[in-house]
Amino acid sequence: WQMTPPLPILERRNWLIHLHYIRKDYDTCKAIIKEQLQDTQGMCEYAIYVQALILRLEGKIQQSLELFQSCSILNPTSSDNLKQVARSLFLLGKHKAAIEVYNEAARFNQKDWVKKPPMIPLCKHTHDAEEQLNMALQLNKHGMTYMMLGKIYLIQGNTEKAVEIYKIAVDFFPENTELLTTLGLLYMQLGKYQKAFEHLGNALTYDPNNYKAILAAGSMMQTHGDFDVAMNKYRVAAFTVPESPPLWTNIGMCFFGKKKYVAAISCLKRANYLSPFDWKILYNLGLVHLTMQQYASAFHFLSAAINLQPRMGELYMLLAVALTNLDDADNARRSYEQAVQLDEYVFQGLHLFYK
Amino acid sequence: MSSVPMELKDSAVTSSKWLDAHYDPVANLYTFSSCIALADLHGDGDNKLVVGDLGTGAGNTKLKVYRGIGLLSENTLLDLPTGLVSFLMDQHEPRTPAIAVASGPFIYIYKNLRPYFKFTLPFLEVNTLEQDVWSQARQDMIDTMTLKEMLESIRAKADIPLSVRSLRFLMLEPQEMETYVNLHKQQPIRRQTVITCIGTLKKNMVDEDAVSCLVVGTESQDVYILDPEAFTILSKMSLPSVPTLMDVTGQFDVEFRIIIACRNGNIYILRRDSPKPKYCIELCSHPVGLVRMGKNVVVGCAQETLQGYTQKGKKLWTAYLPAPVTTMAVLDLPTRGFQAVLVALANCEVHVYRDKNLVSTIKTPDVVSSICFGRYGREDGTLIMTTKGGGLIVKILKRTAVFDERDSAPGPPLAQSIRLNVPKKTKLYVDQTMRERENAVAMHRAFQMDLSRLRLAAARTYVKALESSLTPVSASLAEPLKMNAVVQGLGPSFKLTLNIQNTAVCRPVMNLAVSFLYDDRLYRMRTAFFKIPLLVPGLNYPIDTFVECLSEKGISDIIKVFVLREGKSVPLLTAHINMPASEGLALN
Repeated sequence: WQMTPPLPILERRNWLIHLHYIRKDYDTCKAIIKEQLQDTQGMCEYAIYVQALILRLEGKIQQSLELFQSCSILNPTSSDNLKQVARSLFLLGKHKAAIEVYNEAARFNQKDWVKKPPMIPLCKHTHDAEEQLNMALQLNKHGMTYMMLGKIYLIQGNTEKAVEIYKIAVDFFPENTELLTTLGLLYMQLGKYQKAFEHLGNALTYDPNNYKAILAAGSMMQTHGDFDVAMNKYRVAAFTVPESPPLWTNIGMCFFGKKKYVAAISCLKRANYLSPFDWKILYNLGLVHLTMQQYASAFHFLSAAINLQPRMGELYMLLAVALTNLDDADNARRSYEQAVQLDEYVFQGLHLFYK
Repeated sequence: MSSVPMELKDSAVTSSKWLDAHYDPVANLYTFSSCIALADLHGDGDNKLVVGDLGTGAGNTKLKVYRGIGLLSENTLLDLPTGLVSFLMDQHEPRTPAIAVASGPFIYIYKNLRPYFKFTLPFLEVNTLEQDVWSQARQDMIDTMTLKEMLESIRAKADIPLSVRSLRFLMLEPQEMETYVNLHKQQPIRRQTVITCIGTLKKNMVDEDAVSCLVVGTESQDVYILDPEAFTILSKMSLPSVPTLMDVTGQFDVEFRIIIACRNGNIYILRRDSPKPKYCIELCSHPVGLVRMGKNVVVGCAQETLQGYTQKGKKLWTAYLPAPVTTMAVLDLPTRGFQAVLVALANCEVHVYRDKNLVSTIKTPDVVSSICFGRYGREDGTLIMTTKGGGLIVKILKRTAVFDERDSAPGPPLAQSIRLNVPKKTKLYVDQTMRERENAVAMHRAFQMDLSRLRLAAARTYVKALESSLTPVSASLAEPLKMNAVVQGLGPSFKLTLNIQNTAVCRPVMNLAVSFLYDDRLYRMRTAFFKIPLLVPGLNYPIDTFVECLSEKGISDIIKVFVLREGKSVPLLTAHINMPASEGLALN
């Protein structure tokens, strides 16, 4: 009979590893993991698991995948290990393999919502994705899941259903600014401005720095001639996202509304510099230059806009105004004709005007 | 208590709600909020600070007791302390609390700072199949390879995991197995687990000095409630994941709630008479801190948010934090009716929150890793913090300190008052605008005219280039060639390198020749005509030749290069090389 050395408890320091991991103290965490793996001769599943998580955070995905795989050898019945294997496979671009592993993990644990959303980018058909997400929602209500499902409906072109989903989601998460903003923008697209403004306003109450909501709400204020209030909002956005072309366009048009034309041109030119191929900015620049009676410049901006967007009647109309003022009656007429051709209904009255 | 270092005096101005009582940057404490407690250890109304020190993380673990600013006593601990609580275990006078230190599978109870009792967690159930296999091995009925196969099949299927003995056996090399089995086979198989968190629960009275039970969470995903006197297990509950943090309220005999944060990122709420969790809160990221404020649960998440929930798991609010949370504690001042949450952040700040409103900020010289608020010495409002670097900070809340109850959320953000950076326009710009207004028609016409001229000139040059094959890429589909030329040297001798490339996908080009055309009064070339070898697609062929400049006047001219196909007079490619002036002769 020999003295038997006591075998150590493998999970002895798991709590310490976890504590350092969630505090994002990865260096200490790695040191403890190393020690723990030495003590247990590489048998501590949790230590390997966290090491793999850290490696993945560091971008070493292949290594992390190998470690997760060794975790699932140590504990083959854990769906969590399989989930992580699938996630690493997904990050490596091996989508088919990832789906297979996710499905296998789902067999072990039917009631796990986490597995559903990551599969979405993998599903070939939006239909499959929709099904998976609906299942995930039945298991647990999560803001992210709603967001994804709404996006899927939008991809399918089903705006009504998307609005429905976002409405339910907003009821569940009244403080989720992302959901509020998305719903507000959808209402705006559908022309329900009152509701849109309500939701965007709510989003701004919870997060006054929300860039998307500021831009959308600001543009609505502008439509109502509330230029000063809109400018106040834009100042916040200009601080957080100083290089946004739509923002500078809107600021420019605010100045235009306030009859500060030079400032308007400055802002629009900045927007144009940031996004040279945006025809809306060029359209606005043309409009402001026409107002300033700078017809030669207006002509250039408008013709550039037409080159980028040749199917818009209003552009030809503005171009015609510029050409009329440049004493080029022939081309002006041609431009008017083009405008009428593109949008006959709107410009019926126009014939009378220039005849 | 006058030993306030200089650096802290500066921050004292900003956090004027607090008096800096003590700061020792080299106290050498490695601990967490779960391992510190304030307790009246001697029953004299003078509260001591008890710290379970993890030492180096591997050894030198100590149970330290501080009184005032000095270390009162030190006991060596055998292993890393996981949690530490002070609790009253009996009705004896004087009413001095005991200290329970959870460490591995044990709870060490100290009374009057002397070891008093050691509690060991019950062993876990061992897989019966595993037991059978090992008993067969003990009786030498199976050899090591069979043992290995059988254990592997158990591991793959069984609900109850294998013991450490079997797991280690499966990792061994075949030649080591025999001795390992002989060494261990006589011993009974055991599966042991460890404690991950510990708390206290009043037995049957609400008084502050009532007897309390110990509540422990284990790595085996169980929660045990222990009797304070006999240390028997009063109740056992199980969780879906490993518990990490816990908060306990109520009384064991009446009704209680145990709020437990788990390693899977969920929070479970256990109640009396229910062996399974009653409610579940699913978080989006790991909970780092968990405290209870009255009837609500406040969780600090790894994703830099602070979230409030009801005890039934309904979300109330979210506050966004500027940095990751390191630890949390409750700031409770019953005498003033004030309760708040202390959130220590990784950016060396401690934030004080009332619901979702930030009411105060404390700057610290280092990242705080453990925090605790309560009565220390004879002072009720004391804040104890230890830092990542091992420092110990003691602050006292001023009696005059008032926390603003204002709602911090609404109000315009600061950026709204920052002026827009609109680009300024110069006077020149304004002048040009005026000019355009007056002469718009003339400017437009001049521009249109020049534009037409430019287009004409461009078209002419293009046609010319096409006619003389002047482009750097051949227009012929049969011989897709690319060429560029490099001139090296200062003169009078120049080296001329032609890089010719066949850009076809797979077809080689043969029977090509190169010829040069130049003014023979100015230049001389050794070979003005040569053949090009077969051109393999994709490869770059550098062809060198030498040119000598004859003029001494520093004149330079153009040398024309033609790539020709045998039997055709029209060149495939033409290049004009602008020769540099010969500096070598000019110097002479």
